[in-house]
Amino acid sequence: MTERLPRKRSRHVALVLAGTATLALAACEDDRMDAQSFPDLESCIAASKQETLWFTEEDCRQNFAAAQKEFQETAPRYESKELCEQEHGVGNCGGDPAQTQEAQNSGGGFSFMPLLVGYMMGSMLSRGGGISSQPMVRTADGRYSTPKGDQSFASNRGAGKVPAATFQRAPSTIGKPPMSAAQVSQRGGFGASATARSGGRSSFGG
Amino acid sequence: MEKRTLPERPGWRDKAEELGFTFADMGGEPYWDETSAYRFTLREIEEDIEAPATELHALCREAVDRAVRDEAWLARLDIPRQHWDLIAASWARGEPELYGRMDLAYDGNGPAKLLEYNADTPTSLYESASFQWLWFEQQQAAGVLDADADQFNSIHEAIVARWTQICADGEEVHFAADPDNLEDYATVETLAWAAREAGLGAHFTALSQIGLTEEGQFADDQSRIIGTLFKLYPWEDMLRDEFAAHLQSSGTRFIEPPWKAILSNKGILPLLWQMFPGHPNLLPAFFLADVQEALTGGNPAAAVAQAFETARETLAHGHVTKPIFSREGAGVVIREQGRDVARTGDDSYSHHPMIVQGLARLPDFGGFHPVLGAWIVGENCCGLGLREDRSPITHNLSRFKPHFIEG
Repeated sequence: MTERLPRKRSRHVALVLAGTATLALAACEDDRMDAQSFPDLESCIAASKQETLWFTEEDCRQNFAAAQKEFQETAPRYESKELCEQEHGVGNCGGDPAQTQEAQNSGGGFSFMPLLVGYMMGSMLSRGGGISSQPMVRTADGRYSTPKGDQSFASNRGAGKVPAATFQRAPSTIGKPPMSAAQVSQRGGFGASATARSGGRSSFGG
Repeated sequence: MEKRTLPERPGWRDKAEELGFTFADMGGEPYWDETSAYRFTLREIEEDIEAPATELHALCREAVDRAVRDEAWLARLDIPRQHWDLIAASWARGEPELYGRMDLAYDGNGPAKLLEYNADTPTSLYESASFQWLWFEQQQAAGVLDADADQFNSIHEAIVARWTQICADGEEVHFAADPDNLEDYATVETLAWAAREAGLGAHFTALSQIGLTEEGQFADDQSRIIGTLFKLYPWEDMLRDEFAAHLQSSGTRFIEPPWKAILSNKGILPLLWQMFPGHPNLLPAFFLADVQEALTGGNPAAAVAQAFETARETLAHGHVTKPIFSREGAGVVIREQGRDVARTGDDSYSHHPMIVQGLARLPDFGGFHPVLGAWIVGENCCGLGLREDRSPITHNLSRFKPHFIEG
């Protein structure tokens, strides 16, 4: 018997239609997902040996690597160690490994970033998704957070439910912030005219 | 290709309800119907559907490239003159497309024929990408389908990959639709979950709640500026709404991009036929104004005279007229041997210019006529969803049928 390769269908899909509330700006309770944090790869692998959990040793390795990479790309960078420690606590900052060589070569511009102190993995499996991860850094008040900084946690080890937004990647570049608040002068300018002019119209799609 | 009667999954209606697929029955009629399913061979899928649909999309891009440079075509496509720049600029910048659905007539023999391309606001995405997938996995697990069966459905993974490709990391995307229309909303939510999986921020706003800031940017229902807007709302309407004047100056990035106004327009069908006459997957097509007299024995417009002569016999045998803007079968009339054989009651689009297209008769499987929806994500065909109806014109209450690949 030969196996057909490559297969023509997805390995996973998003199955749940949760309604407008979960896509609104504020995450609600329904949007929470299983998550677990680890200070390092070894502790994740140790936990993966318990068969009841939703991740494997391979998930640990893949997501730790992804978190390390994302840390390099999205962790906040500061122009001084003092500034970094102000945001992340004394002793929790170091040099920027990505810039060390470049900085040495050019002789200037050394930046500081918080230390990577663990990572969090989250499961979208219940809605047919995969596993996501985020790196963790310290906060000024002694807690732990993702680089985006909008969610903080008491510890870098343990399991629980967190909002799905926790796993949104922090921006690596900053242009004009698209989500800033603004004064709105007028509403309702879309949807009024329609090329179907008589009769009701059930759908904009088709 | 065959239609095979299969046992329904026990309790699938409860499962649908639990997942939020609440329109599995509509108007007292089943919409999702798994009492039978369509079976294709891998060859049929790959050679007759996937490859041709991907090629057709490439031809469509060539047609867009032609139309944006040709004022005569932009006028024929009824695109308001003040927006020609918006459309041409979005094409010139190479703004990437997200998705579309080609409706194909196919019976397992001979080439699939493009009926039309819903390249702007296709729906039934959740049914195709997710619920159909679940049907397959569960039926295979239950032994109803063979262990080596498959389904042409990498739609979800293709959309996640496409979002990653066309948006910056962490880009905030607003999704606008009519929240009271369950089908429209389900399609939008499916795209939004894929966007979140791709690492983007996805936020819903009711289309009617979009506002304009004092600086001329668009803002959502909570007055936050919209940087990138996915809209499940036709470009032909966007271009005619009160806010149309601000489309370009707002700086908003739109998905689908403005140039899709050309593709979602049924006027693209005569343009494709002019550029690629005789292509095996295309049906002869003309603007009705050019050939109306010729269809009853008179002369066609000079510009299409030669093409019309080639197609005259085919069109006389049977043809379809439809408005250039139309959704869900509205305004479609089928004529065979000189008389009307089918029309939809809804003529709400029929004040628009009409096109004429050679008739590709839909096959009959147990009294139902299936239309294949070939999903395009980015520039490639990546999945299939079928709708079938007792009427030869597919409309918004036609049943969705699952499919599988075997053999």
